Amino acid sequence: MDKKNIFLFLIILSISCLAGPLMLSASDEVSHGGDIIYDKPVKAVLFSHKVHAEDLGMGCDSCHDGIFQMASLTVQKEADFTMEGLSKGKYCGACHDGSMAFDSDSQCARCHIGVKGYDRAQGIKSGE
Amino acid sequence: MKINTENLKEDMNTVSKIERREFLKIGFLITGVFAGGTVLSLASNIRGAFASTGEFTEKYPYKPHYSMLIRQNLCVDCERCIEACTKTNEVPSYGYRTIILEKVVPDAIGQKREFIPVLCNQCNNPPCVRVCPTRASYKDKNNGIVMIERKKCIGCKACVLACPYNARYFNEEVHAIDKCDFCFDTRLSKGEKLTGCAAACPTGARKFGDISDPNDFVYQMIHQIEKQVWVMRPEAGTKPNVFYMKA
Amino acid sequence: MADESTSSKKSTIVGELARSINPTLMSDLYSNVIEFLSGTRSFYVLLVLGLLTVFGASVAGLDAIRMGYRHAYGVTREISWGLIISTYIFFVVTSTGLCIVSSIGHVFGVKNFMPIVNRAVFLSVVTIFAGFTVIFFDIENPFRMAIYNAISPNMTSNLWWMGTLYGAYMVFMAIEYVLLLLNNHKFATYAGLAGLISGIVAHSNLGAIFGMLHSRDYWYGPYMPIYFIASAVMSGCAAVLFFTWVGYKVNNEKMDKPMERALEAVSKLTILMISVLLFFTAWKVITGLVGAPGKQAAIMATLAGPYAVNFWVFEVMLGMVIPFVLILYTRFKNINVSFIASAMMVLGIFFMRYDLVIVGQIVPAYHELGINDVPALLPYMPSLHEIIITIGGLGIVASAFLIGERVFRGHKDSGVH
Ligand code: HEC
Ligand code: HEC
Ligand code: HEC
Repeated sequence: MDKKNIFLFLIILSISCLAGPLMLSASDEVSHGGDIIYDKPVKAVLFSHKVHAEDLGMGCDSCHDGIFQMASLTVQKEADFTMEGLSKGKYCGACHDGSMAFDSDSQCARCHIGVKGYDRAQGIKSGE
Repeated sequence: MKINTENLKEDMNTVSKIERREFLKIGFLITGVFAGGTVLSLASNIRGAFASTGEFTEKYPYKPHYSMLIRQNLCVDCERCIEACTKTNEVPSYGYRTIILEKVVPDAIGQKREFIPVLCNQCNNPPCVRVCPTRASYKDKNNGIVMIERKKCIGCKACVLACPYNARYFNEEVHAIDKCDFCFDTRLSKGEKLTGCAAACPTGARKFGDISDPNDFVYQMIHQIEKQVWVMRPEAGTKPNVFYMKA
Repeated sequence: MADESTSSKKSTIVGELARSINPTLMSDLYSNVIEFLSGTRSFYVLLVLGLLTVFGASVAGLDAIRMGYRHAYGVTREISWGLIISTYIFFVVTSTGLCIVSSIGHVFGVKNFMPIVNRAVFLSVVTIFAGFTVIFFDIENPFRMAIYNAISPNMTSNLWWMGTLYGAYMVFMAIEYVLLLLNNHKFATYAGLAGLISGIVAHSNLGAIFGMLHSRDYWYGPYMPIYFIASAVMSGCAAVLFFTWVGYKVNNEKMDKPMERALEAVSKLTILMISVLLFFTAWKVITGLVGAPGKQAAIMATLAGPYAVNFWVFEVMLGMVIPFVLILYTRFKNINVSFIASAMMVLGIFFMRYDLVIVGQIVPAYHELGINDVPALLPYMPSLHEIIITIGGLGIVASAFLIGERVFRGHKDSGVH
């Protein structure tokens, strides 16, 4: 028996055992930031990475290069994270202006999921 | 910002072409169920609310004739109205005077969700008042608000059954039926101009006013021929004073 | 007593009443009490059981008042009338039915029906009393009711008419019964007529409480008041068959010929009324299936939904079809079979009332908007308190019936004169 080969084999095995899940989870995180639910000033607005990044195929840098931080709910601390701010072209309003994406002054209940949507999301989270 | 807008726009165009085709399909398949629904159909416009067409422009029986206009598409279910109502009128946790219904249409194009605030319609022809054996529920002669004289309420709950809008509940704390009175006791009678919910609404989805006054916002919104205005459950013949439209 | 009618022309009501209270009445009552005390053991066992349920129900009712009905009962904001209201309706329908059936003999003078009159009138008072007792535990402020019903009446409210007229009805029927005991048949007939009229008007108003709720598709329409009267007669027939048979068993007596003939006549009326009710039910279902969506949903709940067992097994089979077949098969002659049929009917009718009250409320108010999170049909489950109070109501009727059989000696003193 070639001890070297066995040793190599064991190393490869253990690396793949450790790295496999690591890579998987890493790729999960890196793919996008999931659903983000804003609850201030009003309950509640849902932003979906799945819709924007996966379904619509937008690159990360279309948002994460000036509009949004890669940390959830950071933007909620801004005083102009309101409908007025949005209509001035800030945050979601950068795209949701009626030409690139539906106007933030329309289809209110498309972004807004309300207290009911918020509670449902909380319920699912706490249920897990 | 480095957004490749050209790319995005192209994307959007293809999407919207599909969307348009989809919409036509849905539109043809289920006209009247999807777009209008059976209740919110074209037939149930303002004329459903009054006995005759003449009646709605002519004369309103009360002065002021309090009324609420719900601009349904502006409601985002933030529920500040419910919070305000609960606080103003000491509504217990097991009851409510107003709520927001959520309607989800999964196969709709674009927006798939709709929030519909509901409250007592302060009907001109209120079934609850008719069924009350002791006249505890009554229609105020001056302003048309459906009110409750608590000490006369025997708690038979006939009015709860009679109401087509599920607007009433038995309040254990005051040991009588409780319902929306447009905040008459808590606000209007104290000189406030708005109900608690309308004052708290951040989007203008709830507008409170006097539909007998041509200078009033609600009057002006409702009396437009090109806007579709409707009421809840017109088939019940209650002649509500809460109107719905999309802004 | 025979000479009474000849001399009554000029006499006043008071005079006549005074005369009818003859000196033997006191000794009669005395011997009645002796009779009561000499009942069999099973009689007392039954009586004690009945009184125990009444006691249990009083405890449950007081407990419910202490807790608040919202906590004690299974009713909700959406389904605010539950088992207790349906039990109330069961009792008052039975009472009105007993009154109507007894009036055939006593008010309209049909000889065949005479032997059942006394027991029927007595039981109509007992059942309406039981009805008032159970509804006492459903009205949140019953004492306010006593005051404001009188000083602040609403003439457009069916509930007001129903309550007021049933109050009068109970008094008339009680008077009728007392006059029957006193053998004063002339005034008893007047009281019976007054009771009949107030009972029927009250009862159709009870139907109209439901029939005039235009927001409730399942109930709305002229059907309800008419249906209520028809089904009252059916319930009355079932109750007469049931209680007369049990009465004879309790007293351990054999029926005489007139009584057998009376029950045969009641059996015939039962068959007639079942046929009527079968038609009512069939057309209610058939018209409902093409009606407003809310009505369709409710009808479907009874045909193939959560209320299907109640409807098919209890309402249709036990309440109507099987009794119909049984009674017809024995050609109205077999009293024992008629009794079994009537017992099934009483049970079936109880479910009819329950379904009538609950199914009318299970379709949510905004069902046409397609609101999610609201179930298509709202749930209701009676609570233990409600069930105990209901059993207590039945206990009132049972105990009063048993005591009545003893004290009034099997209600023999009927109007055959
Ligand atoms: C349409 C805009 C948009 C796109 C495209 C986008 N994001 Fe985001 N992302 C956001 C917003 C908005 C936030 C939340 C920022 C905040 O709340 O302040 C966010 C937050 C995040 C976060 C933080 C999540 C957390 O839970 O803290 C991560 C990680 C992230 N994004 C990763 C990505 C990646 C990776 C991509 C590309 C595949 C991507 N995003 C594409 C808008 C976008
Ligand atoms: C980089 C541009 C961009 C930004 C920034 C952006 N969106 Fe979008 N969003 C889009 C585009 C493009 C669409 C699809 C266009 C359409 O349907 O009109 C979309 C669609 C949506 C939809 C509809 C999803 C669906 O399935 O119906 C929602 C909701 C939404 N965005 C919410 C937000 C919110 C909330 C924010 C801010 C936190 C935001 N978006 C920021 C570009 C953007
Ligand atoms: C593109 C997504 C989007 C659309 C469309 C949208 N909103 Fe918003 N809205 C937001 C975000 C993001 C916030 C800030 C976060 C929060 O309050 O939860 C917000 C906040 C608000 C607020 C509280 C802050 C303020 O401006 O007072 C109100 C009220 C509001 N929206 C109303 C509306 C109404 C009414 C409409 C429809 C005319 C609408 N929104 C449409 C995303 C949207």
